[in-house]
Amino acid sequence: ACGQPPAVTNQPTTAPAQPTAAGGEQPTAAAPTAQAPAQGSSMPAVEWRMGTSWPISLDTIYGGATVLAERVAELSNGMFKITTFPAGELFPGLEVVQNVSQGTVESGHTALYYYVGLDPAWAFGTSLPFGLTAQQQNSWLYHGGGEAAINKLGQNFNVISFAAGNTGTQMGGWFRREINTVADLQGLKMRIPGLGAQVLKNLGVVTQTLPGGEIFQALSTGAIDAAEWVGPYDDEKLGLPDAAEFYYAPGWWEPGPSLHAVFNLDAWNKLPKEYQNFIRVAAWESNMNMLAKYDALNNDALERIVAKGKKLRVYSDEIMNAAQKASFELYAGYESAAFKEIFPSWNAFRQKIQRWHQTNELPFNVFVKNNPI
Amino acid sequence: MQALLRLSRIIDTFTEWVGRLAYILVPVVVGVGVWNVANRYVGRAIGRTLGSNFYIEAQWYIFSMIFLLGAAYALKHNEHVRVDVFYSNFSPKRKALVNLLGTLFFLLPFCGLLIYFGWPYVEQSWRIRENSPDPGGLPRYIIKTFLIVSPILLIIQGISEAIKYFAAFRGVLDPSQVVVEEKETKL
Amino acid sequence: MYEWLGPAMFLGALVILGIGYPVAFSLGATAIVFGIIGVSLGIFDPIIIRAMPSRIFNVMSNYTLLAIPYFIFLGSMLEKSGLAEDLLDTMGVLFGPIRGGLAISVVVVGALLAATTGVVAATVVAMGLISLPIMLRYGYNKELACGVICAAGTLGQIIPPSVVLVVLGDQIGVSVGRLFLGSLIPGLLLAAALAFYCWIVALLKPEMAPALPLSARSMSGAALAKRVVQVMIPPLLLIVAVLGSIFFGIATATEAGAVGALGATLLALANRRLTWKNFIAVCDATMRATTMVLFILIGSTAFALVFRALSGDKFVFDLMANLPGGAWGFLIVSMLIVFFLGFFIDFFEICFIVIPLFVPVAKALGFDLVWFGVLLGANLQTSFLTPPFGFALFYLRGVAPPGITTGDIYRGVVPFIAIQLTIVVILIFFPQLALYLPAISFGR
Ligand code: NA
Ligand code: NA
Repeated sequence: ACGQPPAVTNQPTTAPAQPTAAGGEQPTAAAPTAQAPAQGSSMPAVEWRMGTSWPISLDTIYGGATVLAERVAELSNGMFKITTFPAGELFPGLEVVQNVSQGTVESGHTALYYYVGLDPAWAFGTSLPFGLTAQQQNSWLYHGGGEAAINKLGQNFNVISFAAGNTGTQMGGWFRREINTVADLQGLKMRIPGLGAQVLKNLGVVTQTLPGGEIFQALSTGAIDAAEWVGPYDDEKLGLPDAAEFYYAPGWWEPGPSLHAVFNLDAWNKLPKEYQNFIRVAAWESNMNMLAKYDALNNDALERIVAKGKKLRVYSDEIMNAAQKASFELYAGYESAAFKEIFPSWNAFRQKIQRWHQTNELPFNVFVKNNPI
Repeated sequence: MQALLRLSRIIDTFTEWVGRLAYILVPVVVGVGVWNVANRYVGRAIGRTLGSNFYIEAQWYIFSMIFLLGAAYALKHNEHVRVDVFYSNFSPKRKALVNLLGTLFFLLPFCGLLIYFGWPYVEQSWRIRENSPDPGGLPRYIIKTFLIVSPILLIIQGISEAIKYFAAFRGVLDPSQVVVEEKETKL
Repeated sequence: MYEWLGPAMFLGALVILGIGYPVAFSLGATAIVFGIIGVSLGIFDPIIIRAMPSRIFNVMSNYTLLAIPYFIFLGSMLEKSGLAEDLLDTMGVLFGPIRGGLAISVVVVGALLAATTGVVAATVVAMGLISLPIMLRYGYNKELACGVICAAGTLGQIIPPSVVLVVLGDQIGVSVGRLFLGSLIPGLLLAAALAFYCWIVALLKPEMAPALPLSARSMSGAALAKRVVQVMIPPLLLIVAVLGSIFFGIATATEAGAVGALGATLLALANRRLTWKNFIAVCDATMRATTMVLFILIGSTAFALVFRALSGDKFVFDLMANLPGGAWGFLIVSMLIVFFLGFFIDFFEICFIVIPLFVPVAKALGFDLVWFGVLLGANLQTSFLTPPFGFALFYLRGVAPPGITTGDIYRGVVPFIAIQLTIVVILIFFPQLALYLPAISFGR
């Protein structure tokens, strides 16, 4: 989890982001496109701002916002402009939903689980520990009632949101020493935010949320024993491979986290139908593009990390089992009405889709792993 | 005028007490800071979880309260730094005028702006009883309330300052007495 | 169409600040004035100002800025408990017999206090009160005496730890620990250069910095040695506690500050110098100075928001990024801007208003930000010294004996400003001076 945007400086320090600046690469042919409707004077000029939770240095995740903005501009022949802002430029990266809700800006790009302090149910929008993979998350959002559930919750906050990015399964973090048992977790000091932190805390870990900019120093000096960020590509940028020896998989607290484009509901409702459609289409593209891009970049980064002699480890079954149990105990304890409403259907969907993937995709993966060619 | 000056004295006394509350928090923030370092090592040594987001967040909650509650006190004691290229050469009466106009046209509008735009933000936080996103963290609506409290305290003290500077400008009070110069505690 | 509004706002701020009302609220008022202009010209929607509370909240929850009260507390504690005064006294006796020795002892004490606290006021006031009368009594040149006190007093800003570096690290977005380590060598270099200058002056013009007469050496060798060890212990312990815990990775800068604050209290206690009255005075001073700094930040966050809404940042970015001479052009211009602004506005204002405009350009040009930060720190340090608006000058003027004029102080600092600028230039050509220590400590 990026958990907290890195080095959220109190003062904006980054360049004004042009929609074309640090964004993702142009997606290639396979991405869905919408035909621009007949042009004419009926297309009003609209200019929106999009505040994000990301620094420009997290280019892939920030690209979730810029790809969307670029595509919307293209589809509308430049009539609908969305300018993206890195975290901190307009407001801090962890306050996107609050500000979109109030109308400070019309739109934002963020991870909805940053807002579990507003309502724990926001976690469904991004990822729950031992929840869904990216593929499953998309399935739930688009065809399992997920998007509707998130947007029903969003009504309480005067926002509507669409998935616009996914990092894929994140890594399980960097450790200065090996951990094999639950006993090894006792008193371990780890940088991890969100529900994953909640679960680990119940297992005896001292969890802490540090901004990205401080993680390297804290980990390399032993101020903390472990830290998780995103995955090989982004972890490498923070320098984490130089700070610790052991790299754990998987990031069971975020098997397939979605990022969302969030819109102020009043602003959204005033938008012409075509423009609403442009946003939906662009969000789909952004959603697909980020996942594809991360999967491509993480390959190479992982190879570089392994070449450095860093030791890859997989969480032991003991820890995974304890964490899974603690996770579902946690879910049972939430008082939030929205959480209680969404959980049963989400959970039923999870069980069903896991059975399906285990029936078919899993044997294939197992075979490929055991019989490399 | 005398009634206004009486009001000013009441406000000054009030601000003085709020300021004391703020500086009593200074040793507390030192204590919590040391505790956060210590428990990492002590906790590891005895293999138990001592640290928590409670203390980590308490540290910056107290830090915030120090300067948000202290702002009006600092105003009263002329502690907010100025660019005094010209100001330092002004006569006391002229300084009083600068301060009077500054209070009315700079301080009060800015605090008004903070309250006006802060209100919906704080109200939203209270309405949903906004919490910390981190386990064991503290409620956010409480500390966010200080975003409103601080400019209110500043406005109250600003009224007192305006009264004093007005009195000084009109010659009711001795300007050189009102325009205090306190530099000793700056960086 | 209205690109000029950004620069106009910047100039407007300088004008409004010049009136002399406190900076925090003057910046806020500038934001309101130009906000109204921007809204009435239809450049932006006032609703964007709703980001203000979020931005202030971000200041409140900023872990880096949390170090500020700790370092201020530490510095005030040393000053108010008299530990700083003892140190200076003893050093004066130790170095007094040498030609220029008093001036050198001021530099040494300045560097030691700098390495413990980084609070300019504490150092300048203490040294101004104690050493200036002594230097004058023994025939030191007035200007030299004033200059060396001011210069040594500001060493605290470049020798870590320092509040200035904390704020700078936060503004630039680099780890404060790295910035601390990066400025250690340049800071010591500067201290050495100051001492060397005093020595040279005493050599060439003995009448400017004479040695103390024999009658003024009040202590015998053994007693003096014991005294030196005694007064050196408190600052050295604190240096080890604060810098050591950062260097060896025991604590972050903020944590080291907290430990240092406790350490200073315990040292004052151990020296039987901690009265209740002193303790309250330290808390009071810490709260005042912290509030002062944080409120400039709040004012400037309002300024920056409106400045951004007027696209002023884009204007500056384009301007700076397209300077002739590329990286060199930018480096020279940015350093000159910082230096010249230092004449008129104070360190914190520069840091909060101007630095955010430089950082994206520096990043885009591929500068090492730790090095850039150390450079800025060294450059900004001169702002404490440059007339007419320099904190160090005010403090000294506040405590100087009657015979000293403002002119003496202004003229006295000139050679020291030149020395500081020389260090900046050396740093530009030898980045390793700033990058070596962070590299060996953090391994990158
Ligand atoms: Na220092
Ligand atoms: Na200056």
